[in-house]
Amino acid sequence: MAIEIESWVKVAAFVGAGLSMGLGAIGAAIGEGFAAAKANAAISRNPGISGDIFKLMLVGQAVAETAAIFSLVIGIILLFSNYSTASIISMAALLGAGLCMGFGAIGSGVGSGYPAGEACKGVARQPEMRGRLTTNMLIGSAVSQTPAIFSMVVAFMLMFLNFSGAPLHPTSAALLGAGLATGLASIGSGLGSGLAAGASCEGSARQPLNVGNITVIMLVGQAVSQTPSIFGLLISFVLMFKTYPSSELLGASMALLSAGLCTGFGGIGPGVGNGMTAQSAVTWVARNVRQESVLMRSMLVGQAVSQSTAIYAMVISLALIFLI
Amino acid sequence: METLKQTRNRYCSAAMTAAIVIGLGLIIVDMRPMGKGLILGTLFSVFNFILMAQALPLRMAHTKGKTLFYSLFSIFFRFSLMAVPLIIALKVENFALIGVLIGLVAIQIMILADHVLSLFISTRTGQV
Repeated sequence: MAIEIESWVKVAAFVGAGLSMGLGAIGAAIGEGFAAAKANAAISRNPGISGDIFKLMLVGQAVAETAAIFSLVIGIILLFSNYSTASIISMAALLGAGLCMGFGAIGSGVGSGYPAGEACKGVARQPEMRGRLTTNMLIGSAVSQTPAIFSMVVAFMLMFLNFSGAPLHPTSAALLGAGLATGLASIGSGLGSGLAAGASCEGSARQPLNVGNITVIMLVGQAVSQTPSIFGLLISFVLMFKTYPSSELLGASMALLSAGLCTGFGGIGPGVGNGMTAQSAVTWVARNVRQESVLMRSMLVGQAVSQSTAIYAMVISLALIFLI
Repeated sequence: METLKQTRNRYCSAAMTAAIVIGLGLIIVDMRPMGKGLILGTLFSVFNFILMAQALPLRMAHTKGKTLFYSLFSIFFRFSLMAVPLIIALKVENFALIGVLIGLVAIQIMILADHVLSLFISTRTGQV
């Protein structure tokens, strides 16, 4: 029985919606769970301020949930939109949008949970620091959400830009690759940024006098941790906006899909690695602020080396896009 | 010291007031769908936050099985609720999707803005 292309487009939209919300729920659930687990420990340590800890947990969980809300938005749009142009390109674009948002929300969801959990623990240790801990938690969580925002932007572009004039092959593969590049690369960046933010909350509670220095090194560390997701965004843009000559060769399509996969997977490790470096630097600045400049330098050198693998992945992706 | 209820009320009223002021401004400058979408999205964001805050202590006062049930039901219900304005925006032309999207994260924006502003003020007055 032949199925019309309109039906296949609907199928792609439904699968994309499922992937967006299903994958997107993973990160937020883990992050919120982590925050609640740490809140339990904090209440047990200092039951007298359980109200404050509950409040912080609520605010932290509300922020950690943002990535899941983005996934819900993309999922609902995929489910309920009417698609005027029905083609295989639309199918690839819709599937790519779902994958992009689903994968992209995982890291941010988990990452936002770290500062929320550590802030709860920190309030139990230093109740008078609750205001500043909440601010650090929120700034750290907001930066952790950035990769999910990148993924949402790419997902929107895939859903709403008109690719109907482009040749079927290899554009379909390029659009699927575009979704995978940002989505996968965002996992590491979101998680890594969260590690740095968590350490800043822990450090601020341990050494309240060093909170300014801790915030600065956290933000620098998080900024570098975001780089792999920016590489992913860059490759997605190139894949979406490059003009391709029509080609029936399977190799051409696979090269573009692989370009997306390469930067996507290649960004996960460096994002997490950069976050671990930042986490350690933030922790030790809190304990020994006099060594701040040395710790900052060593963090940046370590992150640059960790970053190199993401750069190699991006170079290979660019070679796959422009040379193959 | 602020209670959980006070925190909830503070952010909800701030988000709703801001959405109504900005929404009315957008309606006046002839961006009606955007303004209406923003107010609609914020309304559901406020509902979500209220339910989240209400469910927290409720979940604590029961057995393990009931707590698990309440937690799962709360998540399912809250996300289903947030899908409503998005479906409305997709089906009814009077509500702009982008406005609804911004409105849905209005509480989170308000929480962040409140603390960044406090940090800025305390930095200016030399309290940090």
